[in-house]
Amino acid sequence: MHWNEIVTTVLLALGCVVSLTGSLGLLRMPDFYTRLHTSGKTDSLGQFLILIGLAFVTPDVLTCIKVVSVGMILMIAAPTATHAITKAAHLHDLRPWTRSDPGGEP
Amino acid sequence: MTSVVLIDTVLLLLVTITAIAIIEVRNLYTSAMLTSVYSLLMALVWVNMHSMDVAFTEAAVGGGISTILLIGTLVHTAREEKPLKVRVHWKAAVVTALTGAALIYGTFDMPRFGDPKAPIHHFRVPEMMAQTVGFVNGTKGKQAPPEGFDARAYRSFNGAVTSVPDDPKDTAWRETSVLAQHGIIVPEVLGSHPQHAEAGHHLHPPDDFNGHVPNSVTSLLAAYRGYDTMFETTVIFTAGVSLIMLLRRPRREGQTQKSAPLLDQAILRVVSKMSIPFILLFGLYVITHGELGPGGGFQGGVVIACAFILYALIFGRPALYRVLPPPVIDMLTGLGVLVYSGTGAACLLLGGKFLDYSMLDTVSPGEGEALGMTLVEYGVGITVSMVMLNIFNQLAEEESR
Repeated sequence: MHWNEIVTTVLLALGCVVSLTGSLGLLRMPDFYTRLHTSGKTDSLGQFLILIGLAFVTPDVLTCIKVVSVGMILMIAAPTATHAITKAAHLHDLRPWTRSDPGGEP
Repeated sequence: MTSVVLIDTVLLLLVTITAIAIIEVRNLYTSAMLTSVYSLLMALVWVNMHSMDVAFTEAAVGGGISTILLIGTLVHTAREEKPLKVRVHWKAAVVTALTGAALIYGTFDMPRFGDPKAPIHHFRVPEMMAQTVGFVNGTKGKQAPPEGFDARAYRSFNGAVTSVPDDPKDTAWRETSVLAQHGIIVPEVLGSHPQHAEAGHHLHPPDDFNGHVPNSVTSLLAAYRGYDTMFETTVIFTAGVSLIMLLRRPRREGQTQKSAPLLDQAILRVVSKMSIPFILLFGLYVITHGELGPGGGFQGGVVIACAFILYALIFGRPALYRVLPPPVIDMLTGLGVLVYSGTGAACLLLGGKFLDYSMLDTVSPGEGEALGMTLVEYGVGITVSMVMLNIFNQLAEEESR
């Protein structure tokens, strides 16, 4: 096994773990904000790790640059989208969940 | 079961579940978002089948712009679907079931999935794989023809194409040129085309690609069935024009347009400002690169329209109208179709048939083909992007009324 394949394997495994925890969180978390928090991590960090992992096994430099730039765009776009959704919910007075206050729409 | 089939099965199952969810869900916003999910899943199915062009279109049109337009429409209507009493219409159910059964019965005649003996791998595609753009008799261009490459022999590969006339003196094409008939273009000039002058090479074999662009999908779309694509563009143009006729009303004097509500959102503003140039650049790349890789006018046009819509959403429509005033948008809508049909007419005037791009380059038919397709893709891109932008503007204007 060549060194870059080991790096790829590790990064892919990490990305899959992050994506899996994101999906689990989407099912398990109590309210909108926390669910978005976990699924946002799937979008940004999970996908980014997978793409960077794949960049190590690309056949040529051009493909590598393309994969990395897709990862970079994702790193900018996905958190922005999460931010926009959260902000919209906040502006519509959606209260976050706490132990004493179950939250929800006012 | 191969991995391709396995992935396909999972994806198609997900597609089915999404489709059922779209019907079942009451909230229309959820339904619109699920439509987007459906399109993205279908795009994955196409990627799995290696049809990148279709996947790209599905992702850009289905996942991107239709979702924006659907949500834009939902702003004007109710948020929730009215509860309907479900009553089974038995006659309709029987007709639907019979049609479905007939369609499934029809698929039994189709080649199996991934069958190497399928007709598509023997007819047409082998010819298209013999790319001839960029070399003319081995003199010009980046790439010399392979050793012993004989285009004519390749064409008659497998006996699939047999309509290439063998008579070198076949000059019927000259009579078809109106200009040549009137002596405006001297036929001898056209005949000096090196490839045409090649012994035994008919100028425009009736059933031939005349040199190809590397992306066979674009070759098919823009050249082989260029008329179809032209009228598809015209359909989009007509849709845009009908929408203007239906929705546009004269703007009232002194009507104040709402200032951009998202302008004080620093993160959105900065990120969109940063990404809009790149989105535009990517759209242009997709349009121009359509003949070499996945992409083309439709996808690129939609990407460009998305950049403008993002600009209008963040900075407000007055700002968009300063960049692209509505009359300019309307004019560009028509210009795209004009560019497409104008390219066709130019081929006609140069002595070829309508949309016979190989006439555009006097040295290499392949280069002419590539040039014509690029022009045509630009035409499609301009019309598509401007129609999409127009639809968005009309919906947004309805809202601010």
